[in-house]
Amino acid sequence: MLHSLEIIGRRAVRGMDEVGYAAAILAESLVWIVVGRRQRQPVRLPSVFVQMMEIGVEALPIATLLSATIGMMLAIQSLYSLGLFGAESYAYIGIALSVTREFSPLIIGILIAGRSGSALAARLSTMTINQEIDALRVIGINPVRFLVTPALLGTLVMVPCLTVWSNLVSVTAAGVYISGALDVSFHSFIIQVIDVLRVDDLMHGLGKSALFATLIAIIGVVNGSLVTGGAEGVGRATTRSVVHSISAIVVTDMVFAFLVTR
Amino acid sequence: MAGGALPSPAIGAAKDEAPRRPVIEIEHLDAHYGARQILFDVNLDIFSGEIMVIMGGSGSGKSTLMRLAVGLERPSAGVVRLFGKDINRLKASEMLNLRRRMGVSFQGGALLSSLSVAENIKLPLRELTRLDERTMDIMARLKLEVTNLSGFGDLMPSELSGGMLKRAAVARAIVMDPSLLFFDEPSAGLDPVVASALDDLILRLRDAMDMTVVVVTHDIESAFKIADRITVLDKGRILAVDSAEAIRNSGSERIQNLLHRRAEQEAIEPAEYLRRLAGDA
Repeated sequence: MLHSLEIIGRRAVRGMDEVGYAAAILAESLVWIVVGRRQRQPVRLPSVFVQMMEIGVEALPIATLLSATIGMMLAIQSLYSLGLFGAESYAYIGIALSVTREFSPLIIGILIAGRSGSALAARLSTMTINQEIDALRVIGINPVRFLVTPALLGTLVMVPCLTVWSNLVSVTAAGVYISGALDVSFHSFIIQVIDVLRVDDLMHGLGKSALFATLIAIIGVVNGSLVTGGAEGVGRATTRSVVHSISAIVVTDMVFAFLVTR
Repeated sequence: MAGGALPSPAIGAAKDEAPRRPVIEIEHLDAHYGARQILFDVNLDIFSGEIMVIMGGSGSGKSTLMRLAVGLERPSAGVVRLFGKDINRLKASEMLNLRRRMGVSFQGGALLSSLSVAENIKLPLRELTRLDERTMDIMARLKLEVTNLSGFGDLMPSELSGGMLKRAAVARAIVMDPSLLFFDEPSAGLDPVVASALDDLILRLRDAMDMTVVVVTHDIESAFKIADRITVLDKGRILAVDSAEAIRNSGSERIQNLLHRRAEQEAIEPAEYLRRLAGDA
């Protein structure tokens, strides 16, 4: 019993340690954006663009496929559930709101956590084990400025961009299905969706996606830089990063929805 | 400080008339990893222009001593001064200026795997100076030539052999023309011929660029080939600091055991032995 309590206590302390470390990394990354140029150690834009390509542009095909599938699936379910009481013609309301407020940010967040968050954790943990981070430090290059800030900026820009793209693709896919299933033109479906959506709905989704982006980058960095134990440690850090990111995204999604929609 | 009690560097004394200032001063240094103490009251002076080899068996604390000396770790007690400045009390900008005066070659090379060899060498120039691309190219080519790697600049680190990786790491370490150079296990994992070539490179660098060189190694042959002085570490404590010749002829049994690769027999009581077997120790 005492042993179990000790284990729980140790894990709680370690968890708090990691949260503190994550907050410190985030703060330092933001500070470098502001003071880097003044200290003659600017955050290099080419590094940010490289990250944006890897995180955003290279994820476009899979993001498009997933978004189209989600849009189609939502259309099918909406028509089925609303059809139970003859309200199929209102399907556009549920689709427009659930895609922009919920599904797009969530699916893109989970996709980027699995794809880029894990890659970031693997890259940083390998660099830590190979002493590349130590090498940067002894050269006089701050690893947060050189590695973390570009990844954070790249994620912060590209996750909301992908979310906007996901909105477009999901609504289009849903429109294609609904215009085929009901006697409604695709054009009038889109007009109805535009009518029902407010700027608030779009900002709700984009705000969430920016939060998810920050979580993905910082969780990847924390797990990557705290790695121990060689190649096995790299695998553990990568898995841990994906699990932590997705859990954090789902919990944050719920908290965000609770706070903003009450 | 302890440097006063240590013998002055033989080569240094032969070269210069005036006494030289220590480039590295280590005073009463203790280091811990968690609850485990790694270094115990280490005192050491390393003088300008000498090659100091820090030698010891596995777990003797030599790599920890190097990490403390380059500012990668903080000691639990004691002082490390580089060029007369306590590195643990410096502001970030002062430490950055100090880092420009030193280079480190890590055991595995530690080249960034996402950059080519030439880009790795140019990295300190790109990040810490305002040189134009052409000047950086020329400097990188120059360092590649010094380390016998001409023509390999466009390769990725994964395409290099072990010896080439270490030489590329040296090229990166000297690209800012530092006056102090650290090597962590330069001959580890290399065949004797390649290891010997790396020793020659270290000697050439010291002579051509008048560098102070600190080499952490457990390769005895290499140590005697390059060292002006040798520090022998054992279980976190300094056993001896002396010229290579004096260390070779040392009367200390522990030093001779290390030099002749004899494992020390630990005297242990039968009761203690049984307790350890039972896992109570």
